[in-house]
Amino acid sequence: MLSHIPDAIELVDYIDDGEQARHYQFRLVNINKPSEKNTNNNTAKHHWQDAQPGQFFMLNVPSIGEAAFTFTEPPNEQGEFRALIRQMGKLTTTLFTLPKGDILGARGPFGRGWPLEKINKKNIIIIAGGCGLAPLVNLIDSLIDNLTASQQLVLIYGAQNKQAQLLTTERERWQQHIKIYNSLDEINDQYTLVENESQGTPLDIVDIALATFIKPATTALLCGPEIMMNSAAKKLVDNGIASDDIFLAIERRMHCAIGLCGHCYLNERYVCKNGPTFSWQELQ
Amino acid sequence: MCADLVKTICPFCGVGCGICLKVDEQGQLLSVEPQQNHPISQGKLCDKGWSTAYAINSDQRLTQPLKRINKSFYPISWQEALTTIADELTAIIDESGSQAVGVISSARASNEDNYAAQKFARAVLKTNNIDHCARICHSPTVAGLKQSLGSGAMTNSAKDILETDLMLVFGADPTENHSILGGHIMQAHAQGTELIVVDPRVTRLAKLTPMHLQLKLGSNIALINALLHVIIKEQWFDQRFVESRTQGFEQLAKHVKDITPESVESTTGVSAELIRTTARAYSHAKRAMIFYGMGITQYVSGTNNVISLANLALTCGHIGKAGTGVNPLRGQNNVQGACDMGCLPNVYPGYQAVAELENQEKFSKAWGTKVTQQAGLTSLGMTKAAQSGDFRALLLFGEDPVVTDPDQNHVQSSLKNLDLFVVAELTMTETAKLADIILPAASFAEKDGTFTNCERRVQKVNQAIAPLGEAKGDWQWLQALAKEMGSKLLNWQSSEDVFNEMAALTPPYQAMTYQKITDNSGLQWPCTNETPNGTTILHQQSFPIGRARFICVNQVDIDESTDDNYPLLLTTNRLHFHYGCGSMTRNSPLLERETPPGVLFINPIDAKALNINHQAPVSIKSRRGYVETRAMFSDDVPVGLVSMPYHFKEAPSNQLTNTAQDPVTKMPELKACAVVVAALAKDQVPKTIQQLQEGK
Amino acid sequence: MEIYHLDDLSLLQQHLLAQYQLYQVVKNDDKQCSWQQQTKERNEPLIAELPQSSAKDFFFAEHENLLIFNGEYFQETLPTPAPFVLFGILSCDLTAISYQDQFFKDDPYYQARRQQCLLVGLDCIKPCQQGFCPTVDAGPGVREHTADIILHPLENHQWLLISTNDKGTEAIKGLSLKTCHWHFLTQRDLTLHQCEQEFTDDSDITQAIDKLNNGEVSDSFWQQLAVQCLGCSGCTTLCPTCSCYGTRSITDESEDKKVITQQRFWDSCLYEGFQREASFHNPSAEAGKRVQRFWQHKFGNEFFAEFNRHGCVGCGRCEQTCPGVIGVHSVMKRINNNA
Ligand code: SF4
Ligand code: SF4
Ligand code: SF4
Ligand code: FES
Repeated sequence: MLSHIPDAIELVDYIDDGEQARHYQFRLVNINKPSEKNTNNNTAKHHWQDAQPGQFFMLNVPSIGEAAFTFTEPPNEQGEFRALIRQMGKLTTTLFTLPKGDILGARGPFGRGWPLEKINKKNIIIIAGGCGLAPLVNLIDSLIDNLTASQQLVLIYGAQNKQAQLLTTERERWQQHIKIYNSLDEINDQYTLVENESQGTPLDIVDIALATFIKPATTALLCGPEIMMNSAAKKLVDNGIASDDIFLAIERRMHCAIGLCGHCYLNERYVCKNGPTFSWQELQ
Repeated sequence: MCADLVKTICPFCGVGCGICLKVDEQGQLLSVEPQQNHPISQGKLCDKGWSTAYAINSDQRLTQPLKRINKSFYPISWQEALTTIADELTAIIDESGSQAVGVISSARASNEDNYAAQKFARAVLKTNNIDHCARICHSPTVAGLKQSLGSGAMTNSAKDILETDLMLVFGADPTENHSILGGHIMQAHAQGTELIVVDPRVTRLAKLTPMHLQLKLGSNIALINALLHVIIKEQWFDQRFVESRTQGFEQLAKHVKDITPESVESTTGVSAELIRTTARAYSHAKRAMIFYGMGITQYVSGTNNVISLANLALTCGHIGKAGTGVNPLRGQNNVQGACDMGCLPNVYPGYQAVAELENQEKFSKAWGTKVTQQAGLTSLGMTKAAQSGDFRALLLFGEDPVVTDPDQNHVQSSLKNLDLFVVAELTMTETAKLADIILPAASFAEKDGTFTNCERRVQKVNQAIAPLGEAKGDWQWLQALAKEMGSKLLNWQSSEDVFNEMAALTPPYQAMTYQKITDNSGLQWPCTNETPNGTTILHQQSFPIGRARFICVNQVDIDESTDDNYPLLLTTNRLHFHYGCGSMTRNSPLLERETPPGVLFINPIDAKALNINHQAPVSIKSRRGYVETRAMFSDDVPVGLVSMPYHFKEAPSNQLTNTAQDPVTKMPELKACAVVVAALAKDQVPKTIQQLQEGK
Repeated sequence: MEIYHLDDLSLLQQHLLAQYQLYQVVKNDDKQCSWQQQTKERNEPLIAELPQSSAKDFFFAEHENLLIFNGEYFQETLPTPAPFVLFGILSCDLTAISYQDQFFKDDPYYQARRQQCLLVGLDCIKPCQQGFCPTVDAGPGVREHTADIILHPLENHQWLLISTNDKGTEAIKGLSLKTCHWHFLTQRDLTLHQCEQEFTDDSDITQAIDKLNNGEVSDSFWQQLAVQCLGCSGCTTLCPTCSCYGTRSITDESEDKKVITQQRFWDSCLYEGFQREASFHNPSAEAGKRVQRFWQHKFGNEFFAEFNRHGCVGCGRCEQTCPGVIGVHSVMKRINNNA
């Protein structure tokens, strides 16, 4: 049976990041493994330790409801995990008012994460827009940790403007290991672009980024607004990357996360169950 | 599990669809399903109908009487509520006379409740200060059609839609406001019936037909006069009908002689050619039906707009036969009934004029108490008089004028000025928040009675569940209040008693009983001893005024035009998933999800020029008010026009709308005013009107 | 499979009433049919008529609580219905239940109810008004794998009773029944075959299904069609295989404690807001996309592959209830004529 029931989590901490976004740290109140039979009602019901990069969880803000978020750091031994959350609708607006120490709920991990077997050791171009970088944080960290000598990783990160850029600390950390290009939709007159920064959308820099590779990129990871991803995928196919080596993380409204409520449909698939990552080929 | 299926009538609009309430063993309302064999809806409902259970079961429902002390409400007993109200009413009447008190009843409430309300006002309070909200929907219909035809109601029936050859939909958006009737129109159109839509917006129906006359706001009369011009000039009118059934044709012919299609092209924005094609199609159709809505009535020229539509139908003889007629689409479920019941200051039940001595005597005798001769105030009149302090106590039920009335701020300050303000409601509305005493009202699922739909069909509403908490039906608490004031005049035993008293005094309802209504799936008035099975088509042999009258009317421009400071025109519309002030429909999580709280429809071209994105926060300002909401791109509104639904208390369009009135009916011009729209900062959440006002 | 001869239907009803709550389709004064509980006292004749509301609410409730939150932890609120029987359920609705059984295989709430239910199917021997079950392999005769017991009317108010599985056999244990010869089954097949012949021509539907799956229906066709969708949710509410739901939280605050319930309720993919995200991004903002989704879900090959059948069981309810006149027959006809 599938569980609709969240485990209780504590809102441990948060820090602001960019415009109206925050890094939240949560902790599972009870980290008993589901297998450790315990008649308590507060036994953990979900297999938190199995979380893979790109998978997501349902955050339950009790008076409001549930919504899906990706881990920026998956649950560790102590049951602590993090997520980057942007203030958007009713649920996040309420969340942003909650004090540290509040008890909320979470279910997960859900969905199919990034296909690690097809990514490891490959030359990878990553294209992310705005909040779309969040589902990649965890993956980029682990890719960098395991970077081989011959392997190359390039990230294009697009944002509306300077204030809308997120994950600055992370990007600075990555900068030391991989090449990062930043694009900004709008800049004001006084602003002077710094190195590797340009005005426009991520699409404008794809050619430049591809040229950075010594041996051609063979794999692409995309995350962000759907229109941007679709155009980027087409462009990458034109540049010789196979459509089953291009992966997209799709966002949809979700209520159940277990393939039942129907809200996240994408053609005949359910994004929560069959995704959220899909190869470009699967989406054709 | 569903233990019982109680058949009743959908409470959300004037179509009056048949609905079944599913009730479980514990008497809880579970959900609904349509009545499969209902004469109009035949197993269909619109989204509002389908979500009825949410509205009734809402945790927002009021369950006990409340009394306001300063800014907070405290629960009190019914007895305390009634004593307080009775004492204050009596004191005010003693001090300032009966003219200082009044009742505003509800087009949502049953005929029985409305009959009781006007009787309470007239027989207990001794005032003709009784009104309901038709003022802001269809009072021009009553006034206009009464003059032209002698009766202010839909002349034909829903079933005629499938018997006509041409449907002319004028300033109405039936698929959104009267969805099931709109569905009939779509069905007829799909089967080959011609459809002509006249509307400044590209409505759903307009998308289905090549014949869309996208006229400029408020140019109805110019357009109709030009149609008449063509029809008369080309001799396309129905000479026999005009000669035998009407009067005043000569003057009309003279009046429109020079109003050529070319001469109105610039006023209406409709090409002369399209006007000619329309004139030809309408006059040549064997049977043609006119439907109209608030795009006709909510103008300063509302009454005249209605009259000119009557002129058009009469000229072509498209009236008094199956598949023809002038058919107003009335908004609320029982707006027809509230009018029929005499919840208008100038008429008793059955439109018997208050001013006539004979009628005063009739009702004095029937009720066993002398009724007043003094003329009554309309709802706007009452609020105006409240402003000056001449009007001091108001009982209001099932209405939310603070959201739905034009010029909110004025309404609000007048209501605050009252010495006693009593509101009976289902939920805490914006209006109820201003009340001194709030009474918990029973919903339609909790009472017996009748509703009269837009085709004059009186239908039986059946109680399915017990009233929530201490809620009471309207006539029941009016009865209790009357008793408290020492009057036995409202001492009925049952809803049926109320109905029978009413039917005996209301000629069009004369031959109706509950049993007959149930047996016939509703009866259409007039249902008299001569027409015991009701009347599906009015005016077949003659008009109530003998011959119908042609009345010459002139184009009147909208009261407020655009200028440099207010460069866009704002019109109001309704969304099919909400109803009235939304106090019921917005309790459905499904309907509430359909739009963010408040929207402004704007043409992408206008939006681009103003640097506004789809769904972006915007501000809208008129000479009277300011609101914030979200922009919704829509090609359905032409460039230069923006449109706003009025359901949302967070961003009420009525902060902005004009109070200029139709001189005859005092109907405010809700359909047009000048505004300026501006983008707000990208991430700003639009402030609700409540936040804006508190910020002040 | 066991076949019996049943002389007196009421014996079976009484027998089942002793072990189950018994529900049956009942017709009211307005000729409207609905599922109603029967008791020893309330005992109406068995009719082969399709109720307006299908039986899906028995398993996938129109509104139900999923859990409560007490401030500390979340607790599942599983339903605990008494054993019940749907007596005389028609083949299209049975097929729909079997479809939903697959879909909700791992849903604890659905299964908690489903497990308690005995399905007694009833063969249709006359076509109904809007139905086209033979076209989509869902009737008129009850498919064996969809019911525990099948009833087939014989002449002179006699019945053929077929028990298809252990659950069925268990349920009729103790009832004295005559086993009967297999040739009655042949007779049944013949009757059902004849009934199938009486259905109206279904070529509109079969051809439209082909067109749909061959990519011959354009986006602009869907858009034009969808102008007529009023987003009423009638089709999805009445369709026995529709399963989408929304969720909401309800806070119940009394003086000393606050309990939060999470509820799920039937939703409709025809609503504009169904897929709209908090960011206002809406992949199905166009009505055409939503209407297309509905029909793709009912007739698309991709879903056929997953469920081994169409999502539509041919009950015709959507045709009857659609105010926009775009129910199954109308849509399929239009696909054939104009797409
Ligand atoms: S059309 Fe009107 S009466 Fe019919 S279901 Fe909708 S709101 Fe109710
Ligand atoms: S799609 Fe229509 S005909 Fe098919 S199962 Fe659903 S309601 Fe019945
Ligand atoms: S029944 Fe018809 S109008 Fe209603 S949602 Fe379904 S397709 Fe749309
Ligand atoms: S979120 Fe419910 S099906 Fe995917």
